[in-house]
Amino acid sequence: MNNKELNWIYLFISHIKRDILINSRSLFDIVSIFGFMLLIIILFPMGIGPIQEKLDIVSNAVLWIGLIIAIIPSLEKMIQRDYTNGWLDQIATSPIPLEIVLLAKSISHWIIVIIPLIITSPIFAILLGLEFNQIPWLILSMSIGGLSICFIGIIGAALILGARRGNILLPVIILPLIIPILIFGVGVNEAIKIGLSPLPNLFLLIAFSLIYLVISPFISAILIRIAISR
Amino acid sequence: MFDWLANPNRFNRITNKMQPVLLLASLITIILGLYFGLYDSPKDYQQGHAVRIMYVHVPSAWLASGLYLLLAISSIFYIVWKHPLADLMSRATAPIGALFSLLTLVTGSLWGKPMWGTWWVWDARLTSMLILFFFYIGYILLSNAFERKIDGSKSAAVLAIVGIINLPIIKFSVDWWHTLHQPSSLLKFDGPTIDGQMLLPLILMIIGFCLFASYIIILNVKTKLIEKKCEALILKLNLNEISNIR
Repeated sequence: MNNKELNWIYLFISHIKRDILINSRSLFDIVSIFGFMLLIIILFPMGIGPIQEKLDIVSNAVLWIGLIIAIIPSLEKMIQRDYTNGWLDQIATSPIPLEIVLLAKSISHWIIVIIPLIITSPIFAILLGLEFNQIPWLILSMSIGGLSICFIGIIGAALILGARRGNILLPVIILPLIIPILIFGVGVNEAIKIGLSPLPNLFLLIAFSLIYLVISPFISAILIRIAISR
Repeated sequence: MFDWLANPNRFNRITNKMQPVLLLASLITIILGLYFGLYDSPKDYQQGHAVRIMYVHVPSAWLASGLYLLLAISSIFYIVWKHPLADLMSRATAPIGALFSLLTLVTGSLWGKPMWGTWWVWDARLTSMLILFFFYIGYILLSNAFERKIDGSKSAAVLAIVGIINLPIIKFSVDWWHTLHQPSSLLKFDGPTIDGQMLLPLILMIIGFCLFASYIIILNVKTKLIEKKCEALILKLNLNEISNIR
């Protein structure tokens, strides 16, 4: 039993390593996600005008919306490539539990895509004129929220496997599920801005992430088995 | 019981008898409800004649969330027992539910303009009804997104089951967050807080809408059954042709 558990942890880590290695060969994808988010962050102040007071009202929401919109196109690629080249079929027929592989996939996607955005998020925060005491909370809430967006995204990516126009379908399906993350994520930073404790919103954000952590590997594994059986 | 109904021929036989009754009963109750609602009921002391929008708004809101429950339940039946009829049932329910939730949003904003002074507010109940509408649209898009229609059935059924978390949020949103939308005055532990003269047309309209929705859904399921039979016939004909050529 102990031996088996060890094997699962080893599997989990080796799958994360594999995904990071594959994605590090195409660094342009990650840079383009960063550029997309930067574009959104730059376009908002231009639309609103140079008045800082106006910008202060929307700055937290803009950061979160930029994060979500920049990540969504990349979510589909999480399992699309492995599905089309047959790797997922091999995994599903092997004794390796599909759930662990999918959990590793969502976490590796978080490491590859979200972590670079979080490291550079102080730049975005300065561009939007956030206070310095907000930045640590921004980083914390974005890393937790980004993790749960990855968990939701793998459900969405598994739903649209093999569908026509899947890239249009994916946002329609997962946006309703992302809304609570957006609300509580912005809530953390808004609470800091007006001088309240950010903890209630942060705890709710963590609670949502934990719920999605529990359900997402199982639901996406069911969906992938359905997709493979077609 | 559902196993018993899942036979398409038996379903056809039963619904053939039910359909005229449903249509007639729904027409009678809707006409009666409209008469009492639009003509023979007092206007509200605050809202004036605009209160009459309620007789369409409330039944369609109930049906929008009720039909989602039906969609989710038939999806569970499809996933667990794999009845093809359950899949047809959820496919037939989704567009009707989407229309009813759209009707709810439209009548609500028509009512909101004179009462609240705006067409739309980002109130909890309005937002959750909009999200329900998105779930319907997502279901319809996903179930039709595959080359062979049957391929989308299971994935879409899973989506419908995941979306069920939205239903309690709609129901209790008005109690949890004290927002602009008024709380329910019909479903309460201590009886409805609404005058009898307004209650009668409202209940008539709810019954009428439910009957009408079930009539339309049965009609839709039957159309889809005939479609399936046509597809099978075409396949058979093509196969015969191919074998004749050989």
